[in-house]
Parts: sequence; C-alpha cells; structure tokens
Amino acid sequence: MIEISSTPIVIIAILGAVGIILPVINVIRKETGSNSFYAVIAFAALIISIAYVGYQFINENILPSALFSEDVIVDDAFGGFFAIAMLIVAIFTTVGSFNYMRKQNYPAIYYSLILLSTIGMVLVAYSTDLIMLFVAWELMSIPTYALVGFIKKNPQSNEAALKYFLFGALSSAIIVYGISITYGITGSTNIGEVIQGYSTLDPGLLPLALLSVGMFIAGFGFKMGLVPFHQWLPDTYEGSPPTITTLLAAGTKKAGFAATIRIVVLGMVVLNLDWTLALGILAIMTMTIGNVAAIMQKSLSRMLAYSSIAHAGYILIGLAVSPYSSLGLQGSLYQILNHAVMKGMAFIAVTGIITTLAVTNLDKLKGLGRRMPITALGLTISLLALAGVPPLAGFWSKIMLFGGALDAGSALWWAPWLAIAGVLNSALSLAYYGWIIRRMYFEGETEKRVSEPKSIIAVMIFSIIFLVGFGVYPDPIIKFVEFATPVISSGFMP
Amino acid sequence: MADAAFLALSVITIGSAIAALELRSLIYGSIALMGTLGGIAGFFLLLDSPFVAMFQLAVYVGSIAVLILFTVMLVKRELIFKKVEDKRRKFVGIALMLVLMVSLGAVILESGIKEITTDEPAVDFREIGEDFLTYYWPALILMGLILSGAVTAALVLARRVDEENDQRVN
Repeated sequence: MIEISSTPIVIIAILGAVGIILPVINVIRKETGSNSFYAVIAFAALIISIAYVGYQFINENILPSALFSEDVIVDDAFGGFFAIAMLIVAIFTTVGSFNYMRKQNYPAIYYSLILLSTIGMVLVAYSTDLIMLFVAWELMSIPTYALVGFIKKNPQSNEAALKYFLFGALSSAIIVYGISITYGITGSTNIGEVIQGYSTLDPGLLPLALLSVGMFIAGFGFKMGLVPFHQWLPDTYEGSPPTITTLLAAGTKKAGFAATIRIVVLGMVVLNLDWTLALGILAIMTMTIGNVAAIMQKSLSRMLAYSSIAHAGYILIGLAVSPYSSLGLQGSLYQILNHAVMKGMAFIAVTGIITTLAVTNLDKLKGLGRRMPITALGLTISLLALAGVPPLAGFWSKIMLFGGALDAGSALWWAPWLAIAGVLNSALSLAYYGWIIRRMYFEGETEKRVSEPKSIIAVMIFSIIFLVGFGVYPDPIIKFVEFATPVISSGFMP
Repeated sequence: MADAAFLALSVITIGSAIAALELRSLIYGSIALMGTLGGIAGFFLLLDSPFVAMFQLAVYVGSIAVLILFTVMLVKRELIFKKVEDKRRKFVGIALMLVLMVSLGAVILESGIKEITTDEPAVDFREIGEDFLTYYWPALILMGLILSGAVTAALVLARRVDEENDQRVN
C-alpha cells in the first residue's frame, strides 16, 4: 500500500487542506479578507509542496520511472518531474494573480480552486490506475471550468467557460468510454494489468483495443489541444482571465501529455500498433495549423493560444518516435518542462499588460519596451525561447526532439521528416514572434514608462534566470530529464 | 426477454435524452432527464448490478434530478438563456452523431465481444466498499476534493451579481 509520506499523498494533504480551508476562512472572516492574504497562504502551500518534491528527489526517496504499480499511484521520478513542472505553473499563476485579483470578487475561492486543480494535474502524472487517473483528471478539470468563467460580467469569459465546459465534458465522456472498454476486455483498471491484458489479447478483441486507444488519444487530445481537437482552445484562452489561461496553457495541457505517456504510448507498444505514423501526422498537422493560424492573429492572447497548439505538435514528435528512440521521449519531457516555464511566463506577461494598460491588441503594443521594460524583456525572452533560439533553454529541448526524430530514422523512414517539419515550423514561428518584438522595441516613440506590478516582475525575473541559466548550462536539467524518462521498448512488460 | 428489455430501456434512455435537450421548457426537460437517468439504472439491473442500480436511482433520479427540478423552478424566468438555433448546424451535428454511432456499433459488433462469456457471480457490494477503503483510498479522497471544489465553484458562479454589489458597498 502506498505510504503516507509518499510525495503524491503529501501533496494531496498540503494542497487539499489549504484548498478546503481557504473558503472556510473566507466565511469566518465574513468575506472581508484581502486578496493578498489568501494569495500568500496559497503561495506558501505551493512552495512547501514543491520543496517537499525537491527534498524527496535529493534524499533519493523516489523510484526511477516505474510506470506500473500495484497501487493506484506510484511515487516515481516520472510523476515527480511532472509535479515540479505543474507546481511551477501553479506558483506562476498564484503570484501573477496578486495584482490581477485585487479588482475581482471571491479571491479565497479563486485560490482554493487553483490549489484543487493543481492536485488533479499532479495526480494525473502519478496515477497507475485508470480510475485514479480519471478522478484526478476530473479534479483538474472541474475547478478550471469555474475559473475560466470567474469574471461573470464579462461575456467573453462566459462564452469561454461554456465552450471549455462542453468540450471538457465531452472529452471526459470519451475517456470514460475508453476506460470501460479497456476494463471490459482486460478485466482490470490497473495500468500494469491492462498492459499485460493487452499483450495476451484474443485477436478477435483487437478492434476494441484499438478503439479504446483511439478514445484515449481523442479524450486526452482535447486537453492537449491537438488538431483536430483544438477548436475550443483559442476562444477559451482569449476569454478566460489571463492568469487562468496560464494554468490551462502551461499546466492542464501537460497533464494530458502525462496521461498519454502513461496509457497511449505503452498501449501502442504492447499492442504492436503502428500508430506512430498516425501520431507523426497529427504532430505535423498540429504544428503547422497552430503556427499558420498564429500568424493571422491580431490579439496577443490569441496568438499565444495558437502557438500553444503548435507546441503540442512539437511535443508529439517525441511521443510518435518513442518506441524507437529514447531521445525522442526525453526531448518531449524536456520540452514539457520548458514549455511550462516559457508559456507560463508569456501569459503572466500578458496578465501584467492587461492589468496595467488593459490592451492585448498587437497594434497597441507599440513602445511596450519603454513603457514596461521588464515585462517586455520577459515576454521577448519567452518568445525567443519558444522559437528555440540559442542559447535559451527552449533550444536544447527542440534539439533533443528533432535529434530523437533523426535517431528513429533507421527504423521509421518518415521520422526525419518530422525533424524537418519541426525546424521549418520553428522558423515560421520566429516570424510572428519577431513581429511582436519589433512592435515592442522598434515602433512608437512617445511612450513613457509606467509602474509595473511587482508580482509580474518577480515571475519575469525567475523565468529569465531559468531560461537563460539552463540555456547556457543545460546539464542538470538534461540529467534530470534522463532520470525521469521511462524506458520504453518493444519488449518491455510490467 | 433480456433483449426486449434492453431495447425498451434503450428507447427510454435515448428518447428521454433527446427530449431533455430539445424541449423548450426547462421543467419538462428536467423531467425527461429523470427518464434518462432511470433508464441507465435499468441497464445496471440487466447487467446484474442491483447495487449500482440502487445508487443510480437514489442519487441521480432521487436527488440530483429533483434538485435540478427545484433549481429550475426557483430561477427567475428572465435569467434563463434565450435559445438561438442554427438549423444547418443542428442537422450536421445529427449526421455526424449518426456516422459516429454507426462506426462505433460496427467496430463493437465486428469484434469478438459476443464470444465473451462469464460465469462469475455478481460483485458483492461489500467488496466494492472494501476496495474503496483499501486499493482506491487515494481516489476516494480526490472524490471528496472534487465535490468540495464543485460546490464552492457552483456557489460562486450561481451567486447573483446584485448580491455581490451589495456586499461590496457594505
């Protein structure tokens, strides 16, 4: 049985307790508490949680990437890796909300929902049972449905919440259907037993196994924003509070990838399914459609939303070639961590711009470099890192991803084309990122500097240090990624 | 006999679901929803799961559907959304749904699922309870957190704006 002191249980205890206590404190204080009071409590809970994950890693209390377990969760390096990425995003969201939430109602409920959703995101990555994974998935999703519609008077926020809820509910239904079919043909919900059941499956039941894997791809694909399951994403990212967009783009999306690696990739390998080509095609479609659509946008939030779709495509390259190249999966995990910081940073910069100047239209960003120099610098670095410009951290993860695709070329003739498509798409993305940078620094003349929110500055400084620091010296992160990446090969078995 | 019951339950469940979506009156829609939820309880009975069927009836039909009905009756009529309908989209949606259902049905019927036979006894509800408190205990805690989050979120979203403004003034 899973130990009480294991990382996921301690995270549930800390974040769950604070998440439930915050609304109670709010009621006791008759809703008079300031935003900062609740934000500091939530921030402290998240810092303690991430410190505990770090402590467990340093003391080597965490198993190497186990993937399977007799329990519903396993305290392994894979889960720990995702926990760190998602807790960083939750910290960004909380710190970024210090200023943003000052003008909004119900700060206690807001931070409580962020904490509850964070537990869900983290637990998805630790799950080794389909029921547990689905419950964690719902805990991640349900608070975000409310958070997206938190600005009740804003029709855009309402529309975003409704769209997100309907698509989210549909994706959950598809996942449950996949789980029920899987349980029906293998007799278990434990992922290890499911994988064993798949490997000894009666040939007559193979179509059902294929159907269940397809349903998992579709269900998780909604959250990841893969083409053609991405329609909800731009409207939701644009309409929701920008801090919550950070949580969605940099957090919940990654949970989709964690679940995909735990189930879909393993299932494909065991079933000897040649879905690698299908995932490869999905990767190219997602990258290209995301980047081409991003070029046509006039709103910064919407452009970043489409860029987020494109990045799901890059990450998918590593998953597509994972049965044939360990470098591919390592690249995917590295890109997931980097993307959490890069995209989180970019959307927190958008939060700062909206809070201070109340604009997101690209034409209104002229002279932002003079008006909000630190925010503009942070946004510039995040955009360059997203494009994969050296020596920033995003460069190394893309090198690993494309290297993985080339590495798999000996087994899959089409794999190098994924690398070529990735490089071309990166070049394409640099065009629209460069356009934003030009607007901020080389257009407009008379703008005066305005006061930037301190919480936004804090996120920018941390992220700049992360992206530049680990860009110049990536070794520690690469070793961490190698430790966290599960070994997947055609002959593996629980 | 089982086939006839299955067909009857399918008609009740799907028919009520369509009625719940299409009826203009929210009250009739809520009552139709009760039919869908009750039909699902019938499927559980057919599948030798009387324990789950009882829960389905008690929780969904008995509590949730009644709660929805009360909520609909208490909501001010002018606050209910106006229905703007695009008929072309509706037909495209129906066509897509039919294609999806036929494809799914074909896959399931073509598979060897009909060959599966099981002589295992129905699951004892004590085992379900034991599993919840042993194997699934972390999931049980998360379910509690989901309910807690859903209730607080629903309270915030459902609270009327004029009440919020009063509070700010106070």
